[in-house]
Amino acid sequence: MSTTKDFIVEQLKEEIAGFKGGITEKSTGRVLKIFDGIALVSGLSEAMMSEILVFKTAKGEVNGVALNLEEDQVGVIIFGDYTAIKEGDEVVATKKILEVPVGEALIGRVVNPLGEPMDGKGKIATTKFYPIEKIAPGVITRDPVKQSVQTGIKAIDAMIPIGRGQRELIIGDRQLGKTAIAIDTIINQKGENMKCVYVAIGQKESKVANIVAKLEATGAMKYTTVVLAGASASASLLYIAPYAGCAMAEYFLDQGEDVLIIYDDLSKHAVSYREISLLLRRPPGREAYPGDVFYLHSRLLERSCKLNKEYGGGSITALPIIETQAGDLSAYIPTNVISITDGQIFLEPDLFYKGNRPAVNAGLSVSRVGSAAQIKAMKKVAGKMRLEAAQYRELAAFAQFGSDLDSETKKKLSRGQRLYEIFKQDQYQPLSVAKQVLIYYTLINGLMDDVPVERVREFENGLYKYADLHDEVLKVINTRKELDEALEVQVKTLISDYKTTVEYLVK
Amino acid sequence: MKISKQQYARSLYEAISDKSDKEVKAIIAGFVSILAQHHDLDRGAEIIQNFQELWSLERGELRVELTSARRLEPTVKASIVDYLKNKTGASSIDLQEKIDVNLIGGFVLGYNSSVLDGSLRNSLTDLKNKISN
Repeated sequence: MSTTKDFIVEQLKEEIAGFKGGITEKSTGRVLKIFDGIALVSGLSEAMMSEILVFKTAKGEVNGVALNLEEDQVGVIIFGDYTAIKEGDEVVATKKILEVPVGEALIGRVVNPLGEPMDGKGKIATTKFYPIEKIAPGVITRDPVKQSVQTGIKAIDAMIPIGRGQRELIIGDRQLGKTAIAIDTIINQKGENMKCVYVAIGQKESKVANIVAKLEATGAMKYTTVVLAGASASASLLYIAPYAGCAMAEYFLDQGEDVLIIYDDLSKHAVSYREISLLLRRPPGREAYPGDVFYLHSRLLERSCKLNKEYGGGSITALPIIETQAGDLSAYIPTNVISITDGQIFLEPDLFYKGNRPAVNAGLSVSRVGSAAQIKAMKKVAGKMRLEAAQYRELAAFAQFGSDLDSETKKKLSRGQRLYEIFKQDQYQPLSVAKQVLIYYTLINGLMDDVPVERVREFENGLYKYADLHDEVLKVINTRKELDEALEVQVKTLISDYKTTVEYLVK
Repeated sequence: MKISKQQYARSLYEAISDKSDKEVKAIIAGFVSILAQHHDLDRGAEIIQNFQELWSLERGELRVELTSARRLEPTVKASIVDYLKNKTGASSIDLQEKIDVNLIGGFVLGYNSSVLDGSLRNSLTDLKNKISN
């Protein structure tokens, strides 16, 4: 016992002997006003933009970040307990820009936007820090987007393909499955060599707990970091959350890896920034958002990129989420983010309540990168899928009025009905690209025309099971990534073999 | 148009520089009536503070707050004044002394918006932070 005591004392002695207390000059100021998570501070004439400032309060130290630099005062947003700060408290500049811990140690963890653990799994063991604000990579460093991100969702992978380095907006009203698409995409990245960052901005903590549990259960937490700024967090934490998440993603980008980052959701982010701006007395503009709310999101989303080989070849794919009010796409924030991103996935209440889930609207959803981000086999079977799906909906609305339809229209209608049946997919059931190719091949070649519409899903599930049993075809599609004639013959025989086992076909 | 406190302080400073004491009194009386005309009398305190800052800046004076654990010897004070003159380029130093036994030892210098903390208390806090981390 005494030996350990002696050891500790020796250690302390050494520490104290080695300690050099120097005099350091500090830039300080005093709190003039404190309200609603914002402090106005006098002095600090040398403060930098987004510099960390430490408030020395009676209850200990509280951190803040300089956001407004004025002639004789500094506007500061406060992270932590602002009620501890009193007027006249001392504020010390640290000469450090706000930064977050990054690195492999963050994988599988739930952290707050300052990089502090929220999951009770102990300290985050990393020595690397990245600034939360960074200028996006320039033109010279970039490469065109050409490699696919498989979301595992049939409707999206066929109609609105997403590439590595793309920014694809998920937009729709509340409760239509926006987060579900994002989570399915994360789950489907298993074995795809992809790191994932999920940034929850203003989400209910119970919802985030559910998501984390689901990711744990599916094994997706092994490559995922969750950045959580819950609904009860202050506006300043919500405001920095996506930038902090992006900084964590940028670390992996710099290692030449592919990263998928989800911002859930940017509407709440804009609202929190509006709150901060109004409290800092910046002039309000449309919908009371400040003038730089466009820059708020453009500088964030520009940081997603595909780098070329000389710069490591990594990528950050962003899936921002926007919640609309009553399907209003022309509100301020939705139009802004639509114009920044490379396309959007629009979710529609009508489709959702009809049972078409995920409720992706084929007409309004686009991907500006297009088929460059699809494997050849998928391109071949899904080439005109979006057009066909959109045409079917128009035709179906029109056909309600007439009873006499020509055979061509009838054929299109029945094809469309089956297509929409195929688009239906349960949550947390992402599908491999080979199986998607298989089912779309069945449809476009008319091999499904004799399956009754109400039994299409049954037929589909049976087909997957049958293909799993005879899995050489799926393997070949996966490795060759192309549908040549020989493979097509194989696929056709597989399907017709399967159809002999099914007894509900219409002759 | 609203006149800022800086503008008030600057104009008052320019009006009274190189004037005799008698003239200065008259000018200040006029300045106060201008303030009254603009309904700005309640901003007097902040204008005076701004004026003081401007006055010491223009004259190369530096207000320094010196807090020490016990009364310092004149030689120490002289060397502190010399140090500050060299560091800031001020021509004269206005030293305001305070005694605070909580510092334990050493002294703290405060000027403009900087603080030079050479107190024993500060060193002990640093040591505590170092050991506890």
